[in-house]
Amino acid sequence: MNMKNRKTSASSIILKIFLVILAVIFATPLYITLINIFKSTKEISSSPMSFPLPPILDNIIKVIKNPNVNLGEMYFNSLCITIFGALICILVSALAGYYLARMKSKLSQGIYIYFLLGLMVPYAIVYVPLVSIFKGIGLVGNLPGLIMVFVSGSISFSVFMYQGFIKSTPVELEEAAIIDGAGQLKIFTAVIFPLVKPCTTTVAIFIGLSMWNDFLTPLLIGQIKTITVGIYTAIGPYASDWGSVFAYVMFATLPIVIAYLLAQRQFIEGLTAGALKG
Amino acid sequence: MKKKSILFTVPAFLIYTVLMIIPIAGAFLLSFTDWNGISAAYNTVGFKNYVDMLSDERLRNAIFVTLKITAVVAVTVNVLGLFIAMLLNRAKRLTNVFRSIFFLPYVLSTVAISFIWLAILSYTGVLNSLLEMFGMGNLAADYIGNAKNAIRSICVIEIWRMLGFHMVLYLASIQTVPRELYEACIMDGGNRWQQFRYITIPMIIPGITISVIMSIMTEMKQYDIVKVITNGGPGYSTETVTYNIVTQAFGNNMLGYSSAIAVFLFLIIAAVSILQLQLSKKLEVS
Repeated sequence: MNMKNRKTSASSIILKIFLVILAVIFATPLYITLINIFKSTKEISSSPMSFPLPPILDNIIKVIKNPNVNLGEMYFNSLCITIFGALICILVSALAGYYLARMKSKLSQGIYIYFLLGLMVPYAIVYVPLVSIFKGIGLVGNLPGLIMVFVSGSISFSVFMYQGFIKSTPVELEEAAIIDGAGQLKIFTAVIFPLVKPCTTTVAIFIGLSMWNDFLTPLLIGQIKTITVGIYTAIGPYASDWGSVFAYVMFATLPIVIAYLLAQRQFIEGLTAGALKG
Repeated sequence: MKKKSILFTVPAFLIYTVLMIIPIAGAFLLSFTDWNGISAAYNTVGFKNYVDMLSDERLRNAIFVTLKITAVVAVTVNVLGLFIAMLLNRAKRLTNVFRSIFFLPYVLSTVAISFIWLAILSYTGVLNSLLEMFGMGNLAADYIGNAKNAIRSICVIEIWRMLGFHMVLYLASIQTVPRELYEACIMDGGNRWQQFRYITIPMIIPGITISVIMSIMTEMKQYDIVKVITNGGPGYSTETVTYNIVTQAFGNNMLGYSSAIAVFLFLIIAAVSILQLQLSKKLEVS
């Protein structure tokens, strides 16, 4: 018995050491980014792993002062897309999900399957016709137009999530509200929507993150400088000034990293919930 | 139960139909034309675009590159993801800390992490500087300059990005396995490997299916990393299918032809998703 215990604790120490090594390897690219933001490009190539002593802010200042780079505009565009895109998508999908969860007709099932079709579409197929349509009606570079494109791309997932979640909520609460004389819309806003808050958190994180991080859609359809398109054009195809590259990366990821650190559990559960339900 | 008004579905239905379904239908129609996206005139060419695809060397290469990335990444993230999940499951208090570290790359934008890796893997980048520093400058290589190395690099980046996601999927699956089953196995004298082989694996088959198919679907749509790391080059040797579609459409103005390729990709992805649905239904029954 004693020997077995010793064996277990030895293997558990080896396990922990192994995990720590793995985590260190995994975190190295992020460490390299973080320390090298505060070094000159020359210093980066002479001692890439050392701590920046003294830290310099040249890279960050260079990025901020670059006349061709408007960080404010990029943040504004990305924030508008993420916030309004997610809000509109959540609202319309929750409404649709409510109908689809409560009605058991052939029609409702048909509409549900119609919405799910979007889950199996590679988005590449949408680009060519959509860019042509946007050019045709002069919507290229139009922010609200791009936001609606993002909404359309997230509706399938959101309807799927809301339909499933609302289906599992008890009908009794609604019946009580009906007796009180509440209309359908009133029931939705006062009873259903507050009830599905966990689902809303999941959907908001999932689609909000995909909207913030998307690159190809704003590049092709909107030709709008979001933070991803912005840093891509600013760095250009022949990058070699690694100091500024790291600074650009920091500007593109900082809001997400902060949000992630504040709500890790919600992020991890939100981003995997859709997959596990599917 | 009171009837719900169908008006609830109208806003979502309209947005989805106009900006998603109509463009998809448009792509199907365009795939039978030779439209160049500029002139108003175009000819209907029947299945010519689809026939042309058969003899398109560039597309064949793109399919090959996509399959290679898909195979390497899907196998690695699933095997390693399951392995790390098994280890983490036993790490108890530390599980959450490790989980957060491994998951972090997945929440960052692919463009941003591609630039991090570009700075590491370029010829003048961090990795070669490090080798130089340790007197191993003769080992320095151009990790993205030729097709073979570049595809490997793209796989490494993608594995780094996706591993944490798949690990969390497996961790969630493993945690649903009832403890009693393990206890019964231990009572029967089962060692750790036998517990894994005869309890864990059969119990998480649905989780494995979902994870494998998700990784295949993600990699088959690969675009962002290629765009940042190689721009499809040298030549077009590192193009993926999605990259090929976008360049043919907007670089070469072959909107009809690129639509045909997009329809082809759509059919494959749809087939994989239907396979997923069938499999998970079957697994739920058994």
